[in-house]
Amino acid sequence: MARETSSDRGLATESARASEPRESRSWLWSLGIGVAILGLIATVPLLGDQSVLSLWTFILMYCVLAQSWNFIGGYAGRPAFGNVAFFGIGAYTVSLLLLAHQSYWLGLALAPIIAGLFAFLLGLPVLRLRGHYFAIATLGVAEALGEIVQSKNIGAPAGEISLTPPDMNFELSNALFFYGFLVLSLLLLLGTVWLTRTRFGYALVAIRENEEAAEALGISTYWYKVGAFVLSAVPTAIAGGLFAYWQLSFDPVGEGGAFDVTISVAMILMTFLGGAGTILGPILGAIIIEYLDQYTSVAFTTIHGPLLGLLIIVVTIFLPQGLIRLVQELVRSPAGVKQSYPVRFKQGVRRVTRFILSNGI
Amino acid sequence: MENLPQFVVNWILLGCFYAAIGLGFSLIWGIMNIVNLAQGSLIIIGAYVTYWSYTVLHINPFLGMLVAMVVGFCVGFVLQYVLINRVIRAPFLVTFMLTFGLDLFISNVLQAVFTGGYRAINTSYSSAAINLFGAHIPLLNVAVAILALVLTALLGLFLSRTRLGNAILAIGMDRDAAQLMGIGVAAIYAVTFGIGSALAGAAGGMLAMTLQFSPIFTGQYTLFAFVIVALGGLGTPWAALAGGMLFAFAEVFGPLLPGVGFGLDIAIAFAVLVLVLILRPNGLLGRPFYS
Repeated sequence: MARETSSDRGLATESARASEPRESRSWLWSLGIGVAILGLIATVPLLGDQSVLSLWTFILMYCVLAQSWNFIGGYAGRPAFGNVAFFGIGAYTVSLLLLAHQSYWLGLALAPIIAGLFAFLLGLPVLRLRGHYFAIATLGVAEALGEIVQSKNIGAPAGEISLTPPDMNFELSNALFFYGFLVLSLLLLLGTVWLTRTRFGYALVAIRENEEAAEALGISTYWYKVGAFVLSAVPTAIAGGLFAYWQLSFDPVGEGGAFDVTISVAMILMTFLGGAGTILGPILGAIIIEYLDQYTSVAFTTIHGPLLGLLIIVVTIFLPQGLIRLVQELVRSPAGVKQSYPVRFKQGVRRVTRFILSNGI
Repeated sequence: MENLPQFVVNWILLGCFYAAIGLGFSLIWGIMNIVNLAQGSLIIIGAYVTYWSYTVLHINPFLGMLVAMVVGFCVGFVLQYVLINRVIRAPFLVTFMLTFGLDLFISNVLQAVFTGGYRAINTSYSSAAINLFGAHIPLLNVAVAILALVLTALLGLFLSRTRLGNAILAIGMDRDAAQLMGIGVAAIYAVTFGIGSALAGAAGGMLAMTLQFSPIFTGQYTLFAFVIVALGGLGTPWAALAGGMLFAFAEVFGPLLPGVGFGLDIAIAFAVLVLVLILRPNGLLGRPFYS
């Protein structure tokens, strides 16, 4: 445990350096840019190309997943490795109700409630675990859920769900699911901005930076962590519910499964690439990685897996603090000094290069 | 339970094999605070090396295991020296992701090159066995179990009796103090990861001799290694043996419980893990680091 704290403290000082005084209006910029990005994406269905629409629906789905993970992983700094469990719970709640001839809306309303309750009950024991133990305990819960669904034949033999499509035009329903994910992502963007400006958000950041100090300041760290865990579970489950009725058929485990651990990894990787604990980071990371992933899986099918592995290695070594941090480094101007834009840009580029190299070597 | 002796034999043999699976993982985690998610890939690499040296070069699999250990050491040394040392001071989620990326890379390359098909080593003595008290005891598995115990003892002796082993322990206790004493941290870390990978290579050789293997098993063995080490605790090689025994006990006797049945290996493993972590947060034999 002593070793754990010393490395935690190393993280704290590093992040303290990262959070030098910023302009107080930076959240407005983030909100504006985020809304602009989502607004641009909203025009995709107008192209009328179904494969492009499907690509961007996946991208938006991962935006939602990464934004949700950001609450527990980015702001509260807990290494949750099993958030795909909530995704799977959402997908199977909706599917089981549809297979029992219940309304889709009922399923979509129940999914977040069940996942939220599950996150609460799971969080009570596992959020007492530290570091690696928490990461693997959450991973294990996700794996175990997938295995139970598969071996107990939940919903279908081996859990391999197959649903009847919604009673409407194929293209219309696809566009509706696209906008469903878009609205969810927009709500999460607003929610994240709100979070960063409330007591709750400050408490989570304090817990991430130094849990003992936060506790000493009177923050009941345990309940805040449970709250963040539930907060990240709820939208993940809604995304799972949308995914189930959009894809119609899926397996519990394995590639493309509702409990597939690579979904958990994707959430983390995307948030990391963009910038964990930032407003825009998860959105940027999701767009870049999911676009590359889908592109390479079509263009270079055989080396797709190794490429993803390489991408993870490069991102973790060279950009552990994310792209947003690079941009901040680029546009940061020295206080009280007036400089022309070319000079500022040149100095920004120099700072960014130094920043990347200092991570890698 | 008319066949109790058979279950006991299965449990002990599987437990020793699991100790070998956890051994390298325990060293890497205990000394460097890295949860090495690429451990499963390193095990499967070891299995392939043993397999190819038997089928192509006709080397006895027990010697092939040595080859696998040498290859494992080299691979591990390079990985740590070139990649992982770069992020060793970062928060642990970074090393977690990095080793996950390595695992994804290695297992996918193995799948692309060797396909996902199942392989196993079949020798003339593979099926040799004796019967004792109504239990069928395969001799090859007994040899593997003894080897696992020998490796555990050797690792313990190496750490406590040699200069290099003491340097590794010193770095595990306090990195900065060890550095001030003149120990080259980067090189010792690379050696530590190399030894951990060599032990993974040995476990891979045992896997190739006694069971089937395929690149699709990498994640499963990483998970097993984690559960074994977390069950046993960190700080001594013998903890991996205790964890392996407990895990094998759950695996062998768990499915006999009413309503559980087969196919729930991972669920059983994690149920046991959560129970043990609640009762003994440092694992069965774990203690504050070698204090």
